[in-house]
Amino acid sequence: MTPYMFLAQVLSEKYDVDPDTISPEATLTELGLDSLTIVELLFDVEDEFGIEIPEERATFQTLAEAAALVDELVQAKGG
Amino acid sequence: MPLRRTFITGIGVVSPHGDNLDEVFDRVFAGESSVRKVPIEANGSRCDMLLSPVDFEPGHLIPKMSGRFMARATKMAVVAAHHALEASGLLVSGAGPAEAGIYLGCGLGGSDELQAHYERFLADPPRRLRAASTPMIMASGPASHISMQYGITGPTMTYSIACVSSAVAIGEAFRAIRHGYLDTALAGGTEAQLNAGALAGWRELSVLASEHTTGAEASSRPFDAQRTGLVLGEGSIILVLESEDAARARGAEPLAEIVGYGVSSDAYNLTEPSSDGQTRAMRLALEDASVAGERIGYVNAHATGTLLGDRVEAEAIRNTFGSHADKLAVSSTKSVHGHLIGAASALETALTVRMLQTGRIAPTANLTDPDPECDLDCVPLVGREAPGLEYALTNSFAFGGSNATLVLRKVLAS
Repeated sequence: MTPYMFLAQVLSEKYDVDPDTISPEATLTELGLDSLTIVELLFDVEDEFGIEIPEERATFQTLAEAAALVDELVQAKGG
Repeated sequence: MPLRRTFITGIGVVSPHGDNLDEVFDRVFAGESSVRKVPIEANGSRCDMLLSPVDFEPGHLIPKMSGRFMARATKMAVVAAHHALEASGLLVSGAGPAEAGIYLGCGLGGSDELQAHYERFLADPPRRLRAASTPMIMASGPASHISMQYGITGPTMTYSIACVSSAVAIGEAFRAIRHGYLDTALAGGTEAQLNAGALAGWRELSVLASEHTTGAEASSRPFDAQRTGLVLGEGSIILVLESEDAARARGAEPLAEIVGYGVSSDAYNLTEPSSDGQTRAMRLALEDASVAGERIGYVNAHATGTLLGDRVEAEAIRNTFGSHADKLAVSSTKSVHGHLIGAASALETALTVRMLQTGRIAPTANLTDPDPECDLDCVPLVGREAPGLEYALTNSFAFGGSNATLVLRKVLAS
């Protein structure tokens, strides 16, 4: 599963985000996530992909940007 | 300002006997035990423990997003609050009364989450702790989530005083209403610590019951000579308290009245009780209620099924009531629902309300071989009709020597 697909799935299944509102351009704030919830979501991502997202890299706004960061970290890990 | 009368106008339960108070009371009155053997896994091994667990499924009552940040005790409290608000008629479009206060008791907070987060952090290799771990573990989490979910903006108070937590929460809410600080409060308790780490600590204290020869369900035996200790339970019970004016203004049907509250400390020992401190709590509660001891018909005892605890309480009841102790009905409903720690007093208050309403006193189940040192009418085995019951006490005593007693009164037909 790609990072984007995973993010979209988790948001709708575990966070009750309406699937119709989920798109690559949507920001996490627009989808109704507060700061603590975003950190929780990143935790789910870290668990799924076996990576650690450095705090200084967590500057993304949109789902596409978040997915790109995860892609990059997975590649760097050798995955 | 004159003291205001305080009524209970709604009760919500998430208990080992279910979440319908009428059915819960019928089962408790029938002496039906919720105690059973539950497999607990830790360090790769598994053992069966005697517990009184809740078959809990919050379903649609907790949104997934906020549920991610709730420990089990919090989820139970949010659901119990929903039931309480609904029962009182104060739940409107999913919201409660904005000006109300929340007074909650909780012993160990998000104990299940504490264990899960620390397991992760202390594992080899270690994992980062979730950012949500601290607000999930804190004992005040349940009250905070009730406030957020139901839009309740008054004081959000949490009392963490071991086994008296919810008696004090109810008592302090009663005082706030009585003295005019609030018109409405949600008051009660929540506890969910039936996880391996917390249970291991309890086991080392040597206070937990072993299985009775007649079966797990007969293992909680307050006042019985064959007692071996207490059985831990879990759950959340929340009451809606309202001033007389507030209740009457909206035509709410009061279930019972809270008329007195007494609280004291033993200043004696961390785990051993003292009859002096307990007696003082009962006397203060009676004084607060301006009710003579002779008018009390029933005491819901704290009695957990430990030898020392049961005997000291029996002595304290005698010291408080003198010769009237011979005419009192005293029972421990922990014989069937176990000890809910921070939620215990709230459950026992709810059951006592039902006893006043129905004129039926729930028994001490499993009391087949009464301890002669607890020489009281402990309503053994079979529930009792008591149509004239007007006043009742509920006792709660805690590790650390904290004692709290509430006095409840039946609502008489006007």
